[in-house]
Amino acid sequence: MAVPKLEQLSKSVVQGPSLATGAVPTKDWMDIPAIFKPGNYAYPAKQEKVAYLNSQKDLHFPNAREWSPEDDDWKLPEDWKDIILKGLKERLDKFRSLKIFMDCCVRCGACADKCHFFLGTGDPKNMPVLRAELLRSVYRNDFTLGGKLLGAMAGAREMTVGVLKEWFMYSYQCTECRRCSVFCPYGIDTAEVTMMLRELLHLVGVGINWILEPASNSNRTGNHMGLQPHTFKDNVDFLADDVENLTGVKINHSFNRKGAEVLFITPSADVFAEPGLYTAMGYLLLFEHIGLDYTWSTYASEGGNFGLFTNNELMKKLNGKMYAEAKRLGVKYIIGGECGHMWRVVHQYMDTMNGPADFMEVPKSSITGTTFNNAASTKMVHISEFTADLIKNGKLKLDKSRNAHVKATFHDSCNPARAMGLIDEPRYILDHVLDNWVEMPENTIREQTFCCGSGTGLNTDEIMELRMRSGLPRANAVKHVIDKHDVNTLSCVCAIDRATLTSLMNYWNPGCNVCGVSELVGNALVMDGENRQELDEGLRTLV
Amino acid sequence: MKLDEAFRNYREKIVDRWVEYTLSTYKSSSFFIKEKDKFANPVGGNTREALDALFGLLAKNADPQEFVAPLEQIMRIRAIQEFAASVAVGPIHAVKHITREILSKDKERCHLVQDLYDFEFAVDLAVLAAFDLYMQCRERLYQVRIQEIKTGNYILTDSKCPTNLLKTNIQESLKTVENH
Repeated sequence: MAVPKLEQLSKSVVQGPSLATGAVPTKDWMDIPAIFKPGNYAYPAKQEKVAYLNSQKDLHFPNAREWSPEDDDWKLPEDWKDIILKGLKERLDKFRSLKIFMDCCVRCGACADKCHFFLGTGDPKNMPVLRAELLRSVYRNDFTLGGKLLGAMAGAREMTVGVLKEWFMYSYQCTECRRCSVFCPYGIDTAEVTMMLRELLHLVGVGINWILEPASNSNRTGNHMGLQPHTFKDNVDFLADDVENLTGVKINHSFNRKGAEVLFITPSADVFAEPGLYTAMGYLLLFEHIGLDYTWSTYASEGGNFGLFTNNELMKKLNGKMYAEAKRLGVKYIIGGECGHMWRVVHQYMDTMNGPADFMEVPKSSITGTTFNNAASTKMVHISEFTADLIKNGKLKLDKSRNAHVKATFHDSCNPARAMGLIDEPRYILDHVLDNWVEMPENTIREQTFCCGSGTGLNTDEIMELRMRSGLPRANAVKHVIDKHDVNTLSCVCAIDRATLTSLMNYWNPGCNVCGVSELVGNALVMDGENRQELDEGLRTLV
Repeated sequence: MKLDEAFRNYREKIVDRWVEYTLSTYKSSSFFIKEKDKFANPVGGNTREALDALFGLLAKNADPQEFVAPLEQIMRIRAIQEFAASVAVGPIHAVKHITREILSKDKERCHLVQDLYDFEFAVDLAVLAAFDLYMQCRERLYQVRIQEIKTGNYILTDSKCPTNLLKTNIQESLKTVENH
C-alpha cells in the first residue's frame, strides 16, 4: 500500500504485529514453527485413558504421561525419532495407498482452496497439499533417493521435534472430510494422510483427550460416553415414554433379544443428547409403524467409531464389536442409524478388517421385499436407504402438514455423502415428509459438501474458535438460504453434525435449528391408534 | 465537481483497494482476493460484499444504524480469527486513507479532500460500531462454548451426578483409610 498510515493500521499497537498479518510470507513454510497457545490445540489425552488403551489386547498406545503442547518438552520417548521412522516404514509397506499418495502428488494445487480449515483460517499449512507435504517431506528425506541426495532442494527435510509438533497441530486441523480428494485428479485421499499422521503420533504418545477418552469408553462399555448397559436401556425407555406421551402410541422395543431379524445400531449421542434424542424418537416411531422385528443392543450401543480417528487397530476392534454382537444375537442383518464415520468405516474399511460378514444374510426388507445388494458384504443398511425404500413402496402413512413448522435445508454429512454415496435417499425422504425444503448452493452440497468443521473428534469446546473458523464455509451457505428462503432448520444424517452444527448455528446463524432426517420422518408419521396431542413443534413440543 | 459524484465514479476503485487491504491481513491473501465466488471463498466474498455495501452507506451519509448489517457480516468472521482486536477492527479505518489517496491523485478532484470531514466522521462511527460488534461476537462465542458444556456429554460424564460423586467419595474415603 502506498500510504504509510495504512501500514501502521495493520499492526496492533498493544501486541505488535498480529499473528494473522503479513500478506507476503517472509519465510519458507518449513521455517515457520507451530506455536501452541490456549485455543489453538485440543487438550492432550489423560494419562489414565492412554494407559488403559495400551493395556488392551491388540492395542498399542504407549508413553502415557502428563504433558502439554505448550511446553517445550513433550516428554517423548528417547528413541522417538526411530519409532516414527520405523512406524512410517511399516505403514508404507502395509498400506499400498499410502505409498502411492506419497509418490504421485504433482502439487497441482487443485485441492489447495477446497479445505474448510484453509478457507476459514487462511493458513497455508491447511491447504491439503501442504498438510500432506508435512509428511511427504519426511518421507522424501528417508525413503526416496532424490530426497537422500538432494535434501531440501527435493522438498525433503529431516524429522525433528519441530516437525512432530507441526504434525500434531495440522493433523488435528483436518476433519478427514475428504472434500479435497473430490478435486484431486490423482484421487489422493488426503484424509488417509491425516490418518497416518495421527497413527504415527500415537506411537510416541501424542494424542488428544476428546478422541482417546471416547475411544476408551467405547472399548470398555460399548459407547463413547462410557455409560453402562442399564443407563443405555433406561434412556431408550425414557424416549419411548416420551413418544407415548406425545402420540399416544406405545412403543414395543427390546434390548439384546436373540433371534430378532434386525439389530439396530446408532450413535449413542442419539440416545443421550439433544437434538439427537428427537432423531431417536423418530427411529422408534418408524420401526413401530412398520412393526419391524428388531432389537437394540446395550453392548453395541455406539455406531460412532472413534478408532477411525486414532489407528487402524482400534478402528478394527470397535467395528468388530458391532459384528460380534450381531453374531451373538443371531440377527439376519443390521440397520445403522444416522451416523457419519460409522459409515465410512463400514463402507471403506470393514470388509478388509472384519468382513465379509458371512454369518448374516444379504439384507432384505421383510416389509417391502427389497434386497439391499449394495450391502451384500457388510450386511448393514443405512436408515435413510431403508426409509426411502419404505416410502417408495408406499408402506408409510405420512402427513407433511405435521412438519408445517419446518422450513428446511439439507446438509450432506461428509462421510455418508463422500464415503458411501448416500446423496439422493435423504433428499427423497425430505420430499415426502416436508412441503417445502431448499438446497444450499451447488458447490456446497452433495459430493462437494462442506464439513461441519468439528468432525474426527474435534468437537471439543477448548478449540471453539478454531471450530467456528473451519465451520464458516458451511455456515455461510446456510446463511444464504436463511436470508433467501427463510429456512429455520438444518437437517442432516450424522450425530456429530447434530451436536456440532448446533454450536455452529448458535454462533453464525442463531435461531436455526438442527435436526436429523429421521426426526422429520417421526414428525410426519400417522400412526395406527394414535392419540396425538397438538404438536406445534413436532416431537420437540413440550406438553 | 461534487464529492458525491466523485464517490460514485471512484466507488469501485476505492472498494477494491479497501477489500484488498482488508484481505491482506490474512496469510493467504492472494486467494482470498482473487476468488470471487462467495461460497468457494467465504472470507473474501463476505468481506467484498460487506465493504461494498458499507461504502455505499458511508458515502451517502446514511443513518449509522444501517452500518450494523454489513459490519456484522465482516466482524463476525474477523472476531473468531487469529487477530488482535485492533487488527480485527483496523481495516474499517483504512477507507479514510484510501479515499484520500485516490482523490488527491486526481488533479480535478484533489480539492475535494477538504470536504471529507463528514465522510471521515461516518467512518469513525463505523469503527466504533465495529468494535461493539467485535465484542458482541466474542461474547457470543463464549456463550456458545458455555451452552455446549451445559448440554453436552459433560453432564453425563464429568458433572456432579450422584454416580460420579459416589466415585469421588469412594476414592477419597479409600485415601483416608490408607493414610490412617
